[in-house]
Amino acid sequence: MNTLMILMGISFLFPMYWMLNISFKTKSEVYNNPFGLPEQWVFNNYGDALEKFNFPRYLANSVIYSVGTIIITVFFGSMLAYCFSRMDWKRKNLALSYISMGLIIPSQVVIIPLLIMTRDLGLKGTHMGLILPYSAFALSSCVLMLYAFFRSLPRELEEAACIDGCSIYQTYFRIIMPIIKPAIATQCVLIFMNTYNEFFLAFILGAEDKIRPLTVGLLNFFVSIGVSHWGQIGAAMIITSLPTILVYIIGNEQIENALTAGAILK
Amino acid sequence: MLINKVMRMNKLYGNKLAIFIFAFPALLLFTVFVIYPIFPEVLISFQKNDGFRNMGYVGLKNYIDVLKNDTFWRANLNTFVIVLLSTFVALPVSLILALVMDRLSEPIRRFFKASSVLPAVLSVTVIAQMWIAIYEPMWGLLNSILRALGLDSLALAWLADSRTVVPAIAVAFLWQYLGLNALLFYTGIKAIPKTYYEAALIDGAGFIKSSIKITIPLLQDVTKYLLVLSILGCMAQFAHVRIMTAGGPGDISRTVIYHLYYRAFSASDFGQGCAIAILFVIECLVLTFLINKFVAREKIEF
Repeated sequence: MNTLMILMGISFLFPMYWMLNISFKTKSEVYNNPFGLPEQWVFNNYGDALEKFNFPRYLANSVIYSVGTIIITVFFGSMLAYCFSRMDWKRKNLALSYISMGLIIPSQVVIIPLLIMTRDLGLKGTHMGLILPYSAFALSSCVLMLYAFFRSLPRELEEAACIDGCSIYQTYFRIIMPIIKPAIATQCVLIFMNTYNEFFLAFILGAEDKIRPLTVGLLNFFVSIGVSHWGQIGAAMIITSLPTILVYIIGNEQIENALTAGAILK
Repeated sequence: MLINKVMRMNKLYGNKLAIFIFAFPALLLFTVFVIYPIFPEVLISFQKNDGFRNMGYVGLKNYIDVLKNDTFWRANLNTFVIVLLSTFVALPVSLILALVMDRLSEPIRRFFKASSVLPAVLSVTVIAQMWIAIYEPMWGLLNSILRALGLDSLALAWLADSRTVVPAIAVAFLWQYLGLNALLFYTGIKAIPKTYYEAALIDGAGFIKSSIKITIPLLQDVTKYLLVLSILGCMAQFAHVRIMTAGGPGDISRTVIYHLYYRAFSASDFGQGCAIAILFVIECLVLTFLINKFVAREKIEF
């Protein structure tokens, strides 16, 4: 069973190895010798791909979208979650069900009104035109997961701070925020993964070249190069995946924990 | 002293201005970009609209046009095929992988976890393009394997053949999340207390028997969560179709969301696009309702 599972594990990695292998081959060698090691190693696929594929810009855009979405969602989402778990207000339960509706509305369905709205609000062609919808759609799960986390925290800490004369804002930002760091870190990983790899909204709202994220920029490169030059396609795939793979190797454990946080909590 | 403390806490938590400051920004953002768009969506679905202006209300015409169009039904069928493959093939495979994962030695389990989750972490564009290479008719991985096995007649042009294109896309899409779903199942398995297995061990139940009798029934919370997640994910499938076939050959491999995209942005018919969106939301709500009604109605507490 162990051997079988090692083989299966390798089968998940094989396509990536294959693309790496292809990226060192000439255009014609890909057709004649798709799987063996390159007979003649060529390295200019990487240079050629980078000439046509504006990797630094797309990477920067992807990072801007992900980090922007994380900041807005986590900052405002955690405040709302705290407000749900601790403060007393009349329509709290109604607001809680309201925010839960975000879990069943797929972002794809409102793409048409979103496009019209970003146009009318003057957000078209700006990073904010994607960051705001991303944040709004990321809010529901962020708020609900942090809400569950806040409820598990004892109130004593705040009571102590309150007696020391802290205002609610001081209590929240000085006392609570540092305590919930692990939960916030989980949220950051989850939102980053979803935003960094998001395709549909980016494809439509981020269609202009200067604001394209990697997912869409890479597709555009594939379309422009056609299906003939697999060496360059492989090179572009490796370049695009390298940052993700590095992050995944370094933060493997934390990423796995974050990814499974939702399933345990529900 | 105690009363004083309670009063101060109440003042802290009942402060109207503070509640407003904490709750308002998130609720506003959510309302503007998630809830509000549904209203113009419904409105536009009754209009003749080319994306720039309303050219008059046309009643139910958009809905009738959408429902009369064969491509819409084809797109629904394709989406349905992907949902079925996910529910009855991909999820059970993930579950089996998770059950086996639970029996592995630690280093092998870690290797398997890391490698099987990797596709889900990588960009959809990379994965979909990789599968184009796998399905490539001349030198692709799949046909090379088939030819090596002497099955030349089975070596098809997978993405250009109307019979194989939809399952081929579904396999690429479902493969990407196979390991992640297995990891989620595995997390659920880990949460089951070991004492549940001790009785079974005494009875001499093996791996398969204890899995069927104990693990799988106790996993129903996770199963339900994954079922909802994967069904909604399959319903909204767009990226792999766009990258691998652009809905082709012709319009044969469109999903519902791809059809929406095509009507709205390639055919510049926002009216029909919004009508498709509304019909799609109804489908998703019905599915979510059905899952909640028929799968795992009671919550399990250990």
